Amino acid sequence: MTAPNILELENVHKQFGGLDVIDDLTFGVRRGSRTALIGPNGAGKTTVFNLITGVYAVDRGRIHVDGVDITHVPSSRRVDHGVARSFQNVRLMPHLNALENVIVGQHSRNRGFFGVLQPVNLTRNNRWKEEARAALHDAGLGEYERAAVGSLPYGVQKRIELVRALMAHPRLLLLDEPAAGLNPAETDDLQRQLRTICEQGDVTLLVVEHDMQFVGALCEHVVVISFGKKIAEGTPKDIRQDRRVQEIYLGTPPSEPALKKEARRAS
Amino acid sequence: MLGQQIVNGVMLGSVYAMVAVALTLSIGVLNFLNFSIPAMFMIGGMATWAFIHAGLPWPLAVAAAMVVVGIASLIVELFTWRWMRGAEKFVPLVSSMAFLILFEHLAIALYGSDLRTVNAGFSQVDLRFGGLVIGIPQLIGLVCSIVLIGCLSLLLNRTKLGRALRTIAEDSDTALLLGVNINRVVPIVFVVAGAFAAFAGVIFALNYRQVHPFMGEVVGLKGISAMIIGGMGNIWGSIVGGLVIGLVEVLAIGYFGADFVDIAVFGLLLLILFLRPTGLFAGMTTARGGI
Amino acid sequence: MSGYLEGILVLLAVNIVYAYGAFLPLAAGQLNIGLAGFAAIGAYSSAYVSNVYGVHPLIAIPIGGVVAALIALVVAVPVLRTRGIYLALATFALGQVVQASLLNMSAVGGAAGYPVTAFIRLPVVVGFAVVVMLLVWLLFTTRFGIAARAVHDDERVADLMGIEVRGFQVAAFALGSLISGIGGGIYAHHFSFIEAQYFNITLSITIVLYVLLGGTQTVFGPLIGAAVFTLLPELLRGSANWRYVVFAAGIIMLMALRPQGLITGGMLRRLFDWRDPFVKSPGAAKERVT
Repeated sequence: MTAPNILELENVHKQFGGLDVIDDLTFGVRRGSRTALIGPNGAGKTTVFNLITGVYAVDRGRIHVDGVDITHVPSSRRVDHGVARSFQNVRLMPHLNALENVIVGQHSRNRGFFGVLQPVNLTRNNRWKEEARAALHDAGLGEYERAAVGSLPYGVQKRIELVRALMAHPRLLLLDEPAAGLNPAETDDLQRQLRTICEQGDVTLLVVEHDMQFVGALCEHVVVISFGKKIAEGTPKDIRQDRRVQEIYLGTPPSEPALKKEARRAS
Repeated sequence: MLGQQIVNGVMLGSVYAMVAVALTLSIGVLNFLNFSIPAMFMIGGMATWAFIHAGLPWPLAVAAAMVVVGIASLIVELFTWRWMRGAEKFVPLVSSMAFLILFEHLAIALYGSDLRTVNAGFSQVDLRFGGLVIGIPQLIGLVCSIVLIGCLSLLLNRTKLGRALRTIAEDSDTALLLGVNINRVVPIVFVVAGAFAAFAGVIFALNYRQVHPFMGEVVGLKGISAMIIGGMGNIWGSIVGGLVIGLVEVLAIGYFGADFVDIAVFGLLLLILFLRPTGLFAGMTTARGGI
Repeated sequence: MSGYLEGILVLLAVNIVYAYGAFLPLAAGQLNIGLAGFAAIGAYSSAYVSNVYGVHPLIAIPIGGVVAALIALVVAVPVLRTRGIYLALATFALGQVVQASLLNMSAVGGAAGYPVTAFIRLPVVVGFAVVVMLLVWLLFTTRFGIAARAVHDDERVADLMGIEVRGFQVAAFALGSLISGIGGGIYAHHFSFIEAQYFNITLSITIVLYVLLGGTQTVFGPLIGAAVFTLLPELLRGSANWRYVVFAAGIIMLMALRPQGLITGGMLRRLFDWRDPFVKSPGAAKERVT
């Protein structure tokens, strides 16, 4: 029987130069869910992503993905366990065009001597190229295929990065502030797009976000961290009403009118 | 015999130390490996020879050579720093390499590639001391090097200019915010670095009496070894590095023959890069290479 | 064909091969200024094999390349553990050590140089250059080309995408050395004489400079760079040394004005996009609906 949680962090601890950046963090992400990881700036959210993807090694604790202990798996192999991510500041390869960037995302499915020697750029009909091209088209980005990514609008770059992440056919998709820098219309589009991806593709979503409206619309479950510690966990509604969460965001417990205003905005 | 070799090694080492200091200053303040520094070494030596050859007495020839190097340094600054569009990080390094090629071939085109003898106009006087022969001109060169490096260190640690340089070394954006006039200060770094390298070339020309357009390649590039051994960005480390390279070279010639010098010097560089790339004095430098 | 024209074409062919030897590591993000060392290894080992064992140059030259590649593999592990400027310096030190070692090897002539008996004519030289070019072009149309450039652009993200960064770096380093070795072998068997003094730091730097002149974003850059370096000076008569001065000055100007080199990805896109129906101007983007 497969584990109910596709991601498990167990007593994870990470220190940088004497500072406890992640402190005894334990939480799980249910398979197929859309979960948000929120917290004030500096809480360690991106660090959590870096630990899950292997950019940093944990000092103590364990990380399980899909039942497998990946704590000591090298970072280049974690994608083989079904983990893919996007980045806070979009990190596409500036010297590759959009299509080639998406093709990079396929690499994990195409390793090995013969995989690497696949002539993806030689003919028009290479199947990997077709797959990448189709993915860009499905995301409405077909016209940017051969564009230099550096000159594209920020929102477009973010969408390309998402397509790239999906090329690895991940089971767990980590998105670092996917709505940052997007206008309300784009944010809505993104939210719907991510729902579709999760439902159709059997992908679990873990999102780091600041935009609480986006989180409320997209996610069923929220984990709150502050100074590297888990503060609270629950549905977006639970979290909004949690005093501890309000304290860390607002400093002091908010007044009644402020709470009512929040409640009205959420509905 | 060993004692004499150590003396010779130290003398030669002071030349390498000066070049290493020039390189380390550039890396420390500007985070830029200035490949034109060995060319400045060559220009210092060859210009000294050229001016003496043209009839100037050696003190004037040296002064004139330093002026030539100063101008060359400013030209290099313009094209590797000031006018580069900040496009990619490799641009200053590549431009400085191009300057090395440019100056070397300019010298060959002007003077031919032969070895030239420097008629310094003063005779070699030796100090004899317990079986060791110490050349007075060489000793003066050594003393001058130490004094100059000491002055540089004082400048960096005690003066306002020095503080400005150290601020730029830490973070050039912060330096701008703090009101450091980068456009005024950076050329100074280039000129001072060029001057140190050129002075080493002058000492080499006057003491060893031989110059040629390839001396930047043959001698100057070994300064890179000295810099790395001492630790990038570390002035006093460069001195140690220079002395080490000088000693290695002299001992290699003594025990294995002149052909093995380059293998020894660059083999040592390779080894250090593999085992301890931050150099002997890693602890004293900041991550980027502090002064 | 006049002897003069033949000489130019040979030089062009050799420079093209050297250029692609530099292109491989540069495209993967490594500044290798020890190429002359690997060219020397290729030159001397292929010359030794053809002189002493009578092996035909067509086989000896690739053998020289393989020897260079094997030595590159041996040093790649420690060398590629260094980064950025340290990597460049390690390759520099390597080139110097190789040159100095060959200067001392009396079996191959030492400082006096090494004559090469077997001779290859222009068509063979050009043949090698064309084969090298085609193989590199082909290689860069594969996933290898995309992965190598990804490593050049962003090692961290490339690693997270599943690309074995170190593996690609070693491969680029070794392949570049192989090609440089073949360049050296061609040189040896056409000019019939090699000396260690020729394979110096100036040669390494010059090669890197004309590859950067052509641009490292595309596979055509090295070809253009080698062509400009070889052919343009022929238009300016004058001694070889003044040509180097002009070339170096040109590079300095180029770095100030257009550091990405003559041939860039963008330029190629603009040249070839007339046949791609999907490319529209960026302004049209906003109307698309998801």
